[in-house]
Amino acid sequence: MTPAPRTLELFYDVLSPYSWLGFEVLCRYKKLWNINLQLRPSLIAAIMKDSGNQPPALLPRKAQYLQNDIRLLGQHIQVPIQFPKDFFSVILEKGSLSAMRFLTAVNLEHPKMLEKVSRELWMRVWSRAAEKAGMSTEQAQGLLEKISTPEVKNELRDTTNTACKYGAFGLPVTVAHLDGQTHMLFGSDRMELLAHLLGEKWMGPVPPAINAKI
Amino acid sequence: MTPAPRTLELFYDVLSPYSWLGFEVLCRYKKLWNINLQLRPSLIAAIMKDSGNQPPALLPRKAQYLQNDIRLLGQHIQVPIQFPKDFFSVILEKGSLSAMRFLTAVNLEHPKMLEKVSRELWMRVWSRDEDISEPKSILAAAEKAGMSTEQAQGLLEKISTPEVKNELRDTTNTACKYGAFGLPVTVAHLDGQTHMLFGSDRMELLAHLLGEKWMGPVPPAINAKI
Repeated sequence: MTPAPRTLELFYDVLSPYSWLGFEVLCRYKKLWNINLQLRPSLIAAIMKDSGNQPPALLPRKAQYLQNDIRLLGQHIQVPIQFPKDFFSVILEKGSLSAMRFLTAVNLEHPKMLEKVSRELWMRVWSRAAEKAGMSTEQAQGLLEKISTPEVKNELRDTTNTACKYGAFGLPVTVAHLDGQTHMLFGSDRMELLAHLLGEKWMGPVPPAINAKI
Repeated sequence: MTPAPRTLELFYDVLSPYSWLGFEVLCRYKKLWNINLQLRPSLIAAIMKDSGNQPPALLPRKAQYLQNDIRLLGQHIQVPIQFPKDFFSVILEKGSLSAMRFLTAVNLEHPKMLEKVSRELWMRVWSRDEDISEPKSILAAAEKAGMSTEQAQGLLEKISTPEVKNELRDTTNTACKYGAFGLPVTVAHLDGQTHMLFGSDRMELLAHLLGEKWMGPVPPAINAKI
């Protein structure tokens, strides 16, 4: 009898490129590891504010570094990620409030669509190629109308607060629940360590798809 | 005919726990990959100042996170790393100026000893919660690494010379010119390109860039160098 799957919560924001990288790696591994991946749409701007942190891109040398780091990781992890032309405008001015409220609404009403719609939003912000996620126009429109309802606003706020209570100062944050312990891991670069904690095999960021789930 | 080894420069400071983790992983892989690992003792405090960055531990939630992160990574990477009891005093008050000047002197005169002496300094501050700021502390580390007392004493006398001060300053400036805002920084020179990678968590990516095999942070030692 296989033991119960371990719950992993992934707190993410589509504004965060590293969130996309972590998301794709975990989506690949959810079929390979004995885990239950729970996606948690959150607001990175609120986490920054609550923790007293600042977006790393505000430090010039970090902004420079990020561009290369994202490019190289995108190649390695095989995610078509590219810096938007006006990066600062995207991150600091436009933000992601409506997008994350929309994903919150998706999660409340059509949770099975959450992965695809999240990916579609990342593709729009962080890649030049946009694909359709497969939601019908009515479905999408209906959800769009809900994004300013108290229910959706509160759900996004609650999820974001949960991330803060886990100690988040940025995103992505992966929370692993195992053997009665809770481990909060920050960043897209803690997946090999996560494998170690789970007692699972790390096969790099692009694991062979044919391995059956144990 | 094997191609020429690729040069990797590792800029590090013994005050930096993540530097220790990156250092140990690269020391393991230098025997397995076609690389030439150049250790570059640097001063993290100066890099922070020059880049306008701050030690992450100054943000409360990061300080909290760091403690767990270091502990878990230490277990995974099999490095006996432990937070000192008075962490803030160690990092922010005592610092690592003498230690890094000493390592600079070691690198100038006995470069083959640099790896071992660096390790012994990390073992003091980041494993046994021992001082590394006083001369007798630095001497103890050097002796534990296998240096004779005379050799160690001789190097200690040189740490305030212009030659050693300038060398440390130059190395640190080089890290800054590569774009460093913290440590460790690994600079890989390959195919006419230079890649600067920050952190102890870019080693799998480094393997990918080098076209080498990543076997985790604790690779089997018996694999012969290709």
